[in-house]
Amino acid sequence: MKLELIPLLILALLLLSAGGADVETAEFVIEGDHEVTDHRGALIVGDATVTVPPDAEVPGPVYVIGGELRVEGTVAGDVTQLAGVLALEDGAAIEGRLQHVAGTERTADGAVVAERTAVEVTRNDPGPVAAYLPTALATLALALAGAWLSRRWPTLLENVGATARDHALISLTVGGLVFVTFLSVFVFMAFTLVLVPVSLLGLLLGAAAVAYGVVALGYLVGRRLETPRVGLATALGVAVVVVLLEASSAVPVVGDLLAIGLLLTGFGAVVLTYFGLRRFEPVTLPE
Amino acid sequence: MKLIEFVRERRWVPVSGYLIYVAALAAGYYYNLTFVQLGLIDLGTRLVGLPPGTVSMAMAALALLTLVVAVTSGVLMDRRGTSADLYAKLRLLFAVVLVQLVLTAAAPYVRSPWQFGLWVAVCALPLGVGIPVTFSFMIDFVPVRDRGYVAAAVAGLSFFAAALYPMEWRIEEFSAVMAAAMAPAVVVLGVLSLRRVPFVDALARQHEAFGTGRFCRPEPIRTTSATFWGLVALMFGVFFVDSLGFLRIIETPIYIYTSWQSPEVGTRLFIAGVHLVGAFVAGVLYTSFDRKWLFLWVFGLFAFTHLQYVFHIRFGSDGTPPLLMPMFYVLAVSFYTTLNFALWPDLSTPETVGTHTALGVGIAGWLATFLSTALALYSEGIGLPLLTHLTYVNALALLLVVSLPVALYVHRMVELARGVSAS
Repeated sequence: MKLELIPLLILALLLLSAGGADVETAEFVIEGDHEVTDHRGALIVGDATVTVPPDAEVPGPVYVIGGELRVEGTVAGDVTQLAGVLALEDGAAIEGRLQHVAGTERTADGAVVAERTAVEVTRNDPGPVAAYLPTALATLALALAGAWLSRRWPTLLENVGATARDHALISLTVGGLVFVTFLSVFVFMAFTLVLVPVSLLGLLLGAAAVAYGVVALGYLVGRRLETPRVGLATALGVAVVVVLLEASSAVPVVGDLLAIGLLLTGFGAVVLTYFGLRRFEPVTLPE
Repeated sequence: MKLIEFVRERRWVPVSGYLIYVAALAAGYYYNLTFVQLGLIDLGTRLVGLPPGTVSMAMAALALLTLVVAVTSGVLMDRRGTSADLYAKLRLLFAVVLVQLVLTAAAPYVRSPWQFGLWVAVCALPLGVGIPVTFSFMIDFVPVRDRGYVAAAVAGLSFFAAALYPMEWRIEEFSAVMAAAMAPAVVVLGVLSLRRVPFVDALARQHEAFGTGRFCRPEPIRTTSATFWGLVALMFGVFFVDSLGFLRIIETPIYIYTSWQSPEVGTRLFIAGVHLVGAFVAGVLYTSFDRKWLFLWVFGLFAFTHLQYVFHIRFGSDGTPPLLMPMFYVLAVSFYTTLNFALWPDLSTPETVGTHTALGVGIAGWLATFLSTALALYSEGIGLPLLTHLTYVNALALLLVVSLPVALYVHRMVELARGVSAS
């Protein structure tokens, strides 16, 4: 499952529970091609192609958060499109309300929609400055955080950075394992609805830990400048790390793997050192 | 890693020891994973035509016989000094593989219940003897520092192969694959064990340097100690939880044909790849952390995995199950298998490795696996719904997750009460 689907999935689950639908019968279609004929509850379309064939009727509600929903038959309830593609073919009918928030929608002339609402988003073609503005702002925030931390509590960043450098394989391994496991646990929690707040909190904490790892890696890079102005050095180091992560994404597969590896190494070092509160030392093994 | 040092220094004798160990153990474990655990069920139910309940009793009998043979041979190996004699162990392995080759080739021709019973009884002999012989090779071939990674290589490779081949879990397929692999192994083992070979002479002396396990320093772990039996109990729980859940999952088409037995090569390759990655991660964890962390991860992963299956059966069984479920299952299995290969030799010295590996692998591995297999077949036989069955398994896994930190905490309390200073 694509990582970017997770916030949308949680949002869909929140909308689902707010709408009073029975979450126990909800189905989340993550991947592959599926033809839905007799599903009895809510449907969430993830990174998959879901088709409602001509003579079929599904009760809804249906949430499209990715992939494609192709309707040739009838959806008796509401359809909410948060992303992905919604294709309403000739003869298709949505008897509830179609709520379009984002994504691509194709409606054939012969399709019938009982009620339609749309969130209008005016999209301008971003210029080069606007395109990189979110990254620049994120870099600035991380650089400021790094500068502040390195001046206030340098030992924290020193511990995390040293662990990432001296025990890179262990950091990467622990980072990967904790990331995959806890991400799955938090997504799983979201399905219970009761634990959606815990799930969101966990995801935020995880994102903060990953960001902390980037700052610690930036601290390591900054130390190579050998300047007494540790705050400035860390801020510059963070910028270098972020640029490196952005640049690596230009190289398909290998670049992405390198970027993920770097992020997970930083994250693993944060976990291993209890957010920098102590230095990590692996067990001592005899020769 | 010591292996890298050996390669840099061009010391090919110890390097060859690594290769022999990984090849022997991976092949042996692949045999147990496929031929014995899955092929035997197919043989009993499909070819012989026995009801699942009878096959489950045969499996339980095989487990008990294997355990008895393993413990007897392990204790005898230690008392006679065979555990520290590489040539003697290679000769035993030669005999074991020879008998297994005959049994493997004969299996597809078993047709009657008494033939099946006889086959099971004879099968227990090489299986039982093979446990202390093969597991104790670790002290001859692998230095303590590299045991986690080498155990990971064995676990990863055997599961990788088992996930990809054979496609059909039928005794005929298993038999053909195994017999073809065993025939050359018998020849090689015969050459290595029945006459003196200079490089085997060098390998035979390595246990003097490599023999004392990680957890036996400075004091060796005694067979009667609470540490040893506590670990046996923990590993028993791990094997039991795994097998009890898995045997019912593989009988459920929606789960097995979308994962382990999927017609899609990509899906099987994914599972095989996760086995490799999982084993490697376990190797890193075993080498870098205290063993309790690995146990906690194993129990936690099993609990989460079974929770996902229970959740899916209850709420989403109409849809295709996500690959995430078998992925976590595979991770947990790779973790504890790696732990199983490294743990028992690391709790041993050359004087105790036969007994410790026999008790550890025999009780925790074989007895737990076959008892849970029998129980899983029984639950299927009486028509216990999958949801109920997996709920029990999940409860057991959760209980173990909670019990481990509680036990560690109580252990620390006892230490403090006895006045042992904080470490």
